[in-house]
Amino acid sequence: MIPASWYLILSAVLFSLGVIGFLIKRSLITVFMSIELMLNAVNLSFVTFAHQWHSVKGQIFVFFVMMVAAAEAAVGLAIIIAIFRARATLNVDQVDLMKL
Amino acid sequence: MTQHLHLWLIPILPFVGFLLNGMLGRRLPKAVVSTIALAFPLASFAVVARAALIFIQVKPQILPWLINYSDWINAGPLHIQFTLALDQLTILMLSIITGVGFLIHLYSVGYMGHEEGYWRYFSYLNLFLFFMTVLVLAGNFLLMFVGWEGVGLASYLLIGFYLDRDSAANAGKKAFVVNRIGDFGFLVGIFLVLANFHSLDFFAINNIIHSNSGISTATFTAIGLCLIVGACGKSAQIPLYVWLPDAMEGPTPVSALIHAATMVTAGVYMIARTHSIFDRAPIALATIAIIGAATAFFAATVGLVQTDIKRVLAYSTISQLGYMFLACGVMAYSAGVFHLMTHAFFKALLFLGAGSVIHGMSNEQDMRKMGGLRKCLPVTCWTMFAAVLAISGIPPFAGFFSKDAILAEAFQAGSLGKILYFVGLATAGLTSFYMFRLWYLTFLGESRSEDHDHHPHESPWSMLLPLVILAILSVCGGWIGYGRFSHLLSPVIGSDIVSPTEASSGSLELILSIVAVAVAALGWFVAHLLYFKPNDRAQKLATSARGIYSLLLHKYWIDELYHAIFVAPLKFISQYILGWIGEGVLIRGSAWVLAGIASLTGELLRRWQSGNLRSYSGWLVAGAAALLLFAAIYANHLGIWIHFDPSKVLPISINPNAAGH
Amino acid sequence: MNTFAVNYGNLFSITIPETILEVVSLLVLVVDLGFLRKSTQPARMTAACVLGVIGSVLAGLWLLTHSGTASFAGDALVLNSLVAAAQIGILLLTALVLLLSFQAEFSRNPGEYVAIVLLATTGMMLVAAARDLLVIFVALELLSLSLYVLAAFAKSSALSSEAALKYYLFGGMSAALMLFGFSYLYGLTGTTNLNGIAVSLASQGLSPLVVVAMVLVAAGLGFKVAAVPFHLWAPDTYQGAPAPVAALIASGSKVASFAVLVAVTGSLIPAASASRGATWIVLLVWMAGASILLGNLAALAQTSVRRLLAYSAIAHAGYMLLGIAANTPQSGAAVFYYALTYALTTVGAFGVIAVVERNMGSDRFDAFAGLSRRNPLLAASMLIFLLSLAGIPPLVGFWAKFNLFAAVLRAPGVGAWGLGMVIFALAASAVSLYYYLQVLKRVYVVPAMTDEPMAVSALEQLVLLVIALLVALLGIFPSALSGWIPLG
Repeated sequence: MIPASWYLILSAVLFSLGVIGFLIKRSLITVFMSIELMLNAVNLSFVTFAHQWHSVKGQIFVFFVMMVAAAEAAVGLAIIIAIFRARATLNVDQVDLMKL
Repeated sequence: MTQHLHLWLIPILPFVGFLLNGMLGRRLPKAVVSTIALAFPLASFAVVARAALIFIQVKPQILPWLINYSDWINAGPLHIQFTLALDQLTILMLSIITGVGFLIHLYSVGYMGHEEGYWRYFSYLNLFLFFMTVLVLAGNFLLMFVGWEGVGLASYLLIGFYLDRDSAANAGKKAFVVNRIGDFGFLVGIFLVLANFHSLDFFAINNIIHSNSGISTATFTAIGLCLIVGACGKSAQIPLYVWLPDAMEGPTPVSALIHAATMVTAGVYMIARTHSIFDRAPIALATIAIIGAATAFFAATVGLVQTDIKRVLAYSTISQLGYMFLACGVMAYSAGVFHLMTHAFFKALLFLGAGSVIHGMSNEQDMRKMGGLRKCLPVTCWTMFAAVLAISGIPPFAGFFSKDAILAEAFQAGSLGKILYFVGLATAGLTSFYMFRLWYLTFLGESRSEDHDHHPHESPWSMLLPLVILAILSVCGGWIGYGRFSHLLSPVIGSDIVSPTEASSGSLELILSIVAVAVAALGWFVAHLLYFKPNDRAQKLATSARGIYSLLLHKYWIDELYHAIFVAPLKFISQYILGWIGEGVLIRGSAWVLAGIASLTGELLRRWQSGNLRSYSGWLVAGAAALLLFAAIYANHLGIWIHFDPSKVLPISINPNAAGH
Repeated sequence: MNTFAVNYGNLFSITIPETILEVVSLLVLVVDLGFLRKSTQPARMTAACVLGVIGSVLAGLWLLTHSGTASFAGDALVLNSLVAAAQIGILLLTALVLLLSFQAEFSRNPGEYVAIVLLATTGMMLVAAARDLLVIFVALELLSLSLYVLAAFAKSSALSSEAALKYYLFGGMSAALMLFGFSYLYGLTGTTNLNGIAVSLASQGLSPLVVVAMVLVAAGLGFKVAAVPFHLWAPDTYQGAPAPVAALIASGSKVASFAVLVAVTGSLIPAASASRGATWIVLLVWMAGASILLGNLAALAQTSVRRLLAYSAIAHAGYMLLGIAANTPQSGAAVFYYALTYALTTVGAFGVIAVVERNMGSDRFDAFAGLSRRNPLLAASMLIFLLSLAGIPPLVGFWAKFNLFAAVLRAPGVGAWGLGMVIFALAASAVSLYYYLQVLKRVYVVPAMTDEPMAVSALEQLVLLVIALLVALLGIFPSALSGWIPLG
């Protein structure tokens, strides 16, 4: 049987990949996907703990996270479309009108 | 009946007037401005009158009547409530403030009719009434202080009302600065009260004092002396009187209301209100008595030779306030308040009369250029004559009763009191002299005016009506008699320590009265000799005693002395020492440092707050990492991770019972 | 397993105010899209805002008239006097923001705007009441998602969409971090209930995972309250978002976030374990110190009033974090008082900014020049707001700071460090006066470029005056709210 810690380590790795993707990618869509990756890493972590505790709470939490992630995706894509309309670009580095 | 009495209306009504005129007055026609300005004080007076009727006639036994409107400040041990208190003393003060106040508002409609900023004047005047009624109604020291500062503000604004005059601005500044010194003393006194009684409520403090709380005489003396400093500032006593003569730069009705009838008596009111503290501080009492007598005499001597009609009245006010202090100092608080009341009548009348003269003479204030106004200004002339008789202490005018009461009380108050009695008696003679001098110079003889184009004219009815009413009050105001007056006030300011003067004999009082009247008559006689008919006796007298004359004319050089002792060194210090170190180094330096910091952070921010989202996220992650590092180091520092064993963390050892599931 | 014994009647009775808001928000959509499609833009905006204000007032009245304590599903949602105070405050702020939105011209979809404002308000109210990680998360997301949308509402403005994007991506990342922290808390304790977490954490030692969880949670909540180093979104969002939305982000959202931060702090500092509490406190104090320092210094360099308010908001968050770190009932109440009064003042300031922007097309310092000549009442309101933010007596900001710092100093175990932090905070707030005065200098001293009066609707003028009056009166009567917020 695979020890629980492996799942947790996988979750941490996935989360870190999400953070790194968020930091280094220029395309808004990819940045956006990185957030989804982080949320899924969290889900994995929740499921692991739920399994360990024999408690269903963590699994319920996962469903809520997935639901919220869907809503977040809808809002995020809408904002990305608004950005594209206003600036005709999806490059994060070019969205910097406001500074200081 | 009493529950329908809304005390809060008394201050709030003038405040509404202030708001209306202050915010909209610029755009309103004059008639509306004056209607607002008159209606609200009149309404306030109506509430006061109703309260007076209810309490004096119907149910005097439920005074003092306290209303806690709400908690005001609750900070730790400090609990201060928003309390208005009504008792006999308050009713009397409120009647004077709103009653005389309304008359002076009415007078102002005529007097200020042609002035620029008519609305501004009335909004300030209503503001003054608001603060003054708050001061008097306050149930605790802090609320009183709010009113105290507020009337100072209103006074400052009104002294400096003529915006185009430098002298007015300077006078306002002087009043403000000198009053700050007094306020400092008052504040320290309040802090001492709070530290010793753990309360600022007047009635709670009285209860504590009466229950023999074991507070030492030294404490009472310290509190008393601090409060005296405050009272001296507000009531223009030695050594803080210097602002009042200059305050005459304000419009004359303001001098009548604020700088004669009401605000300047706030110090006397405060001493009477807190008398249970002073009753237990003999040294403080003696200080008040000496300051009062000295001020009374000193200011009267200066008043002998002044030629500006308003200045004479200003010094006379200081002198009369000295009488009130003297009365308080010999624990005859009700005599002080009695004189406060009669003084409010006749001094307001004198100022308003002087205003009428000035108005009629087209802004001439020098008595040497007046004379013969009896024919042109008959109403002003004879109403002022009543006031002159009253202030000189000629029976049966109001001032006679109150002044007589003060002198009698002083005479019966120990050996110090006897000495001060003679000072007061001499002052009475001087007072009578300079007041008749003023009246003779102004109204009798022939006109000495150089301006023959303008004929002095009598004032409109709105100015004469207040004069007549105040004249009636100046005549009858004292007829209640000191005995009944002091009985009326005794629940509030009857000294609660039995004084040795209780068993005074009627014959002694009669003798004292006769002596006082004789001295006043002497003063009148001398004035008559010198000024009734044009002659050079006064001139000769001045030349023969040139030294004294010049000393008095220049007010003992006190302003110059203060300037040399306080102002000049302060100026030197601020200009050369603080100017270089303070402004050059500290202020410019700190401004420079702030500007430097601002531009430096600007530069830093330009890099940090780059506007680039990826760099923001990078900082977020870096920040989280830094926090993690801090937390880890801190936790390690606590010795928690000394036995750090990764295997115990992952996999987590699960104990299903640990969390109760 | 009593956690899952859900009593829906109970749930409904606790959430009636939220339900009112939901119903009204649907009603707004129905009315706006169903009946008013053909009406003019201002008429639609007015109708929607009026409905929204009515909804908030109804919900607030319900809360005012139904006091008492209640809880749902093992304290997943609680209702007590402090929560009710926060919720009433949030509703008041929402109503004020809506009243100031009548003149807003940024959106062609007023119904949606008001509906989403009401959704965000629901989120805030739930956040303030939530005591369970799951509910906190969902409520925070409801609030955040609504605010992201609102920030992007000015579709024609490139700044608005950029503000929304920054807010959204930053918020998404923070939410993920916080959620990761939540999963660790759950893993360590086996429960998502704050009380359960407190009990369970108290019985075990401090493991590295707890510290990691704390930092991650701090990142998530730090984002919501805009504390350094999670603050970078704030200036850009405050600047770019439509003014009423920026006001909402700066006010109601802050109140809700501080409410949940107080609750989480109570759960992470069990009395039994000083060391773990100390770690969390150290995190808070570091964030507080950095926020106070950076917020005030950065505000010095600003020339845009919105950004200035954003940086000052960061500094104010720092002061409040100090109060949370003190972690006594009094300091919690003081933080509530501070957050509510600060939010009220900020709504007013943004109201003035909105008027100036509409007239001048900019929120830079020069746009405020000569405001006192062009509209004295507006200028006086701004004076009161900014001086209150600076903490000048007798305005309410002074008492908020006074209560907060007094509560910090009176907390047990506050040593030289606590005293030092308070002195530092006081010195920093003295510096803050400098930049507030920079704005007021424009308002009162610098002459205007034009003398024409600043156009302002009667309603806006009235609302701003009422707010200014509240700020002044609460300062003159500092105990007026004492029945609501027990400052001790």
